[in-house]
Amino acid sequence: MMLTMRDDPTVVALVERARDGDRRAWDEIVARYATLVWSVCRRYGLTGSDAEDVGASVWLRLVERLGSIREPAALPGWIATTTRRECLQALRTGRRQIPVEDDEFPDEEGAASDEWLLEQERHIALRLAFAGISERCRRLLSMLFADPPAPYVEIADTLGMTVGGIGPTRMRCLERLRDRPELVALRPTAPTSGR
Amino acid sequence: MATGWDSDERLLADLGAALRAEREVPERFLEIGREAFAWYDVDAELAALTFDSATAPAGTRAETATLRALTFAARRLTIELEVTAGALVGQVVPPQPGELEVQPREGETRTVPVDEVGWFAIRPRPAGLFRLHLHTAESDVLTEWMSTRVPGSSA
Repeated sequence: MMLTMRDDPTVVALVERARDGDRRAWDEIVARYATLVWSVCRRYGLTGSDAEDVGASVWLRLVERLGSIREPAALPGWIATTTRRECLQALRTGRRQIPVEDDEFPDEEGAASDEWLLEQERHIALRLAFAGISERCRRLLSMLFADPPAPYVEIADTLGMTVGGIGPTRMRCLERLRDRPELVALRPTAPTSGR
Repeated sequence: MATGWDSDERLLADLGAALRAEREVPERFLEIGREAFAWYDVDAELAALTFDSATAPAGTRAETATLRALTFAARRLTIELEVTAGALVGQVVPPQPGELEVQPREGETRTVPVDEVGWFAIRPRPAGLFRLHLHTAESDVLTEWMSTRVPGSSA
């Protein structure tokens, strides 16, 4: 699987701290990437205890390799690949005994998989950026992206603002989100990349 | 990478999708991840899986009495394992005596002896995920995590 990972200094720091025995750094690694592990499991139709077994394997394998990871920045790719392998193993030897061949998942090795992983990485960055903006912005944006979105009257009422203030505030909150380092890191930087 | 996040609508939609995906993850799933750190062991040398008959091409598979064969290699020794119906038996190469701790992810750790010619037997065979921690006069070696599940069987 070809991966195009950018250097993420925070991942590198987290891995180094976990390597030194810092449990909080490990918990943060888990909080950051558990959704990725879960999403891969879901792609393979695994839920409940099957998914839990896969998750346990992935995290235990990461723990045993903490001391030898050479490129922590490539962690999301490693996690996705390891989870995929554990899912296939679980399907082959699992309770349901469904014979599984690798080629039943033709997309996994190709461009579609890279695209999927990049989307997961964008999601990870969005969640981290969101955690870094103000509580008030988080509440407003949460009401706006709810499905269906909350009516403006209700938002105004809940957040104690005028209906007319929602639009400008929303714009400012999204601007703060864009300015978070996690999203700035994803901006195209090369002048030839379009913008 | 073109993210399309110059558009407020697109950014908001992607943010919603990202946060909804996170909310789907059961708390137990996160807990399992956090718990894994308890197994961090900086002192032992990791023995990596170098052969597994369950994933090996046909023709290199194990003999019939053996359901599955695995090899773990460290710098100065290898641990060869055979999964049989009732046990997990193995050999340390080069032969040397010692003690082998069986560490299941869930349940009690137990210890079995490794005899003078490097043989050991674990009965009954471990269920679920586990690893082996080998102590000999010269080595302190930990295998990767494994399970003794056999392809095509419900065991």
